[in-house]
Amino acid sequence: MTDLTVRRACRTFAGEHAALNGADLDLRPGQVTALLGPSGSGKSTLLRAIAGLEQLDSGDIRFGDTVWSEPGTHLPPEQRKVGLVFQDYALFPHMNALDNVAFGLTGSDRKARAMVQLGAAELGDKARKFPHELSGGEQQRVALARALAPKPQVMLLDEPFSGLDRRLRSAVRARTVAALKRAGAAALIVTHDSEEALDVADTLALMLDGVIVQTGTPEDVWFKPVSAAAARLLGDANILPGQVEAGRVETPFGTLPCAAIEPGTPVDVIIRPAGLTAVDGDTFEVVESRYAGAERQLSLKAADGSLWYANAPAASALRAGDRTGLQLDAAFTHITPAG
Amino acid sequence: MSSGRSVKATARPALTPFAVLAALVCAAPILAIAWIALSGGASDYLVHLAETRLPVYLLTSAQVGLIAAAGAGAIGTGLGWLIARCQFPGRNILSWVLVLPLAMPAYVAAYAWLDLSQAGGPLDVATAGLFPTIRGAWGAGLMFALVLYPYVYLLARDAFAAQSADAVQAARTLGASPFEAFRRVALPMARPAIAAGLALVIMESLADYGTVSHLGAPTLSIGLIRAWSGAGSLLDAARLSLVLVLVALFVFSLERAQRQRARTSAASGRHRPASRLQLTGRTGIGALSLCLLPLLLGLIIPLARLGWRALHAAYTPDVLEAAANSLFLAGTSALIAAGLGLLTAYALRTRGRIATGAARLAGLGYAVPGAVAAVGVLAILSGIQGWLDPLWRGMTGEVFPILLTGGAGALIFAYLSRFAAAAIGPAETALGRVTPTLDGAARTLGATGWTLLRRVHWPLIASGVAAAGLLVFVEVLKELPATMILRPFNFDTLAVTAHNFASDERLGEAALPSLAITLIALLPMAVVARYLSRDAKSGELDD
Repeated sequence: MTDLTVRRACRTFAGEHAALNGADLDLRPGQVTALLGPSGSGKSTLLRAIAGLEQLDSGDIRFGDTVWSEPGTHLPPEQRKVGLVFQDYALFPHMNALDNVAFGLTGSDRKARAMVQLGAAELGDKARKFPHELSGGEQQRVALARALAPKPQVMLLDEPFSGLDRRLRSAVRARTVAALKRAGAAALIVTHDSEEALDVADTLALMLDGVIVQTGTPEDVWFKPVSAAAARLLGDANILPGQVEAGRVETPFGTLPCAAIEPGTPVDVIIRPAGLTAVDGDTFEVVESRYAGAERQLSLKAADGSLWYANAPAASALRAGDRTGLQLDAAFTHITPAG
Repeated sequence: MSSGRSVKATARPALTPFAVLAALVCAAPILAIAWIALSGGASDYLVHLAETRLPVYLLTSAQVGLIAAAGAGAIGTGLGWLIARCQFPGRNILSWVLVLPLAMPAYVAAYAWLDLSQAGGPLDVATAGLFPTIRGAWGAGLMFALVLYPYVYLLARDAFAAQSADAVQAARTLGASPFEAFRRVALPMARPAIAAGLALVIMESLADYGTVSHLGAPTLSIGLIRAWSGAGSLLDAARLSLVLVLVALFVFSLERAQRQRARTSAASGRHRPASRLQLTGRTGIGALSLCLLPLLLGLIIPLARLGWRALHAAYTPDVLEAAANSLFLAGTSALIAAGLGLLTAYALRTRGRIATGAARLAGLGYAVPGAVAAVGVLAILSGIQGWLDPLWRGMTGEVFPILLTGGAGALIFAYLSRFAAAAIGPAETALGRVTPTLDGAARTLGATGWTLLRRVHWPLIASGVAAAGLLVFVEVLKELPATMILRPFNFDTLAVTAHNFASDERLGEAALPSLAITLIALLPMAVVARYLSRDAKSGELDD
């Protein structure tokens, strides 16, 4: 099986800032890579460049030894054999579900093969329905089946769950990932939802301002973000500036070991809210106390005016205006050189 | 459902009678024709006609309609795609200029092209007889294609522009080449809109009289006018009208069905406007030339030829009175039609069953050819006269004065029954922009009644209502067969003047009134064209 590699991909749209500014990405067969970034970070542009719908200004995209994109070369999308699921699904409104899935197939048995694909998506009974007669979840499944039908080696999904009801989303997500694994293709899912990215990814790639800033397993990326900005992509984080001295960093909650970073380096200590728990004390004033099911999410103000995110047990009686202390769990902290 | 209820709460049911009035104006002529046609036995003329000419009329109508549809379909679809999906020198102006041939009556184009191409004409001489003479069913179909293609162009352009780029790109990632993606996805998605445009072209070519009579293509309209002017029989004319109306209604129902389909096939997810294909250098010039060709053939060459003819005419007819008559009829009809269309659109907003039914019935008027509308109006008026005459005699002992038939009022009645429908549609679209939530927002901010109409509704709908009125103005200006049948004695319009000279083979004299019609129609048509191309422009901002 073959890897897809993107190297130093750059793309600037006329009159705008660079959408891609030297992005590197690897996609491996049988693996789902989630590409997470805020809107405008260039993630959709990267996906469209891989599909061949955008050209690169510089850098290259290769599939194994085959060059797909590099300056002077641009393999048209129809020759790349990628499967692409659009955010709005882009089902052909003038074709029923079966004809949509059969679109990319050739040969006399194309309808039969399309039917098998629809059956696998548990849509066999909706084969004759037109897109506007299908529910949002069913449309998503038809779009996925249509992209998978020609057995592409690279599957690209652009915000494939954003159009769905929140209630439906996790079920559709699980089903989609299972289908991608069955197909064995190298899959890229673009999303701006961190929960979704953590859920689907074998490999998580973070994108900011046209650059992939970090790639790794979801656990790695979550626990060991490379920068404060990367940490914030995956959820709330307390960022505490500090300095390494003799292999240690001082924090208001105690001293943290830090052997990996050169002494004297300014650093950011990243603390997830889950790493700060409310305990008896009166150092912090509760500004906001939000009930979030399993726990209570607190925003707090320190004596110096700095703002902190922390958690408290769901049963906690802390409310805005109360005073409390905080305890640090070092497992939820990570220290990076200050960006 | 809650929004539906709030619509009803703000509705003015008092407007329903206007919808009913519009429906009556549009439907009465057809009903009168059906009433007369289905009563009484078969006259000798009709039996004779059915045995001899009717098959020819039907066949020629089909031929002319199909050639017109094929030509207008090819031109309109091609241009629609070019303008919607490509960027090239002149595109932004061409986007609306390409609509302008609608200002040219087909019969005026026919005068010019037959004059150019007939034996001894400049094209015939220059090509040593190789250039075919523009006449017969082929010629007429070609003329209709050249001046009616904008109907297809407008609908196809907007359909192509409304297509999300994602659909075509999805096709590409599924292995389709650019051309294949167009053939299998973009074109089929636009097909309902194109088909609706074709139906309009066919209905217009069925309604025409001037072109087919000048080029010698005996369609049903010709048969109808002959039955009326030759045999003078209202009964026979009504029966032929019924045949013509049935054919037209059939095409009309196809059009409505296709529009319905267009609505469902367009409703799909988020819209990502396609970035236009940049055509520069030679391909850009090629695209520009393709767009200029139909303008040249449908508008510029005929105008130039007639201009030359008018300058070299032996005798310059006085067209001022005819022009005044034309302007009076077109202006009055346009004002009434726009008002009626607007009131009907408001009545439609109530979603009441009577109002909706009435508006749909009024919409049928568009399928009624002018000659048929005229015969229907005649039938109604002679019915009224026949009913009043004995009463009058009983009271005064004299013949009832023939006031009712042949007045300008009868003409306007016929125009309205045909063109009021053309004003309802745009008014309805314009009013569609005034959503119930807008009403609600304005009301919560204290604007009600006239303030609401003046400050919220009117600014949103004014240009749409104006466009509807101007469209009717142009149509009435060009109208020939209804005018011929119903005009009062010694009351000529520009169209009738042009037709009379042209049928006497006095093209030099026909040229001036022909030019006048087209030039007068061009200005309002340009306004309408720009209005209809406005949405396409605002779409550019999303790119």
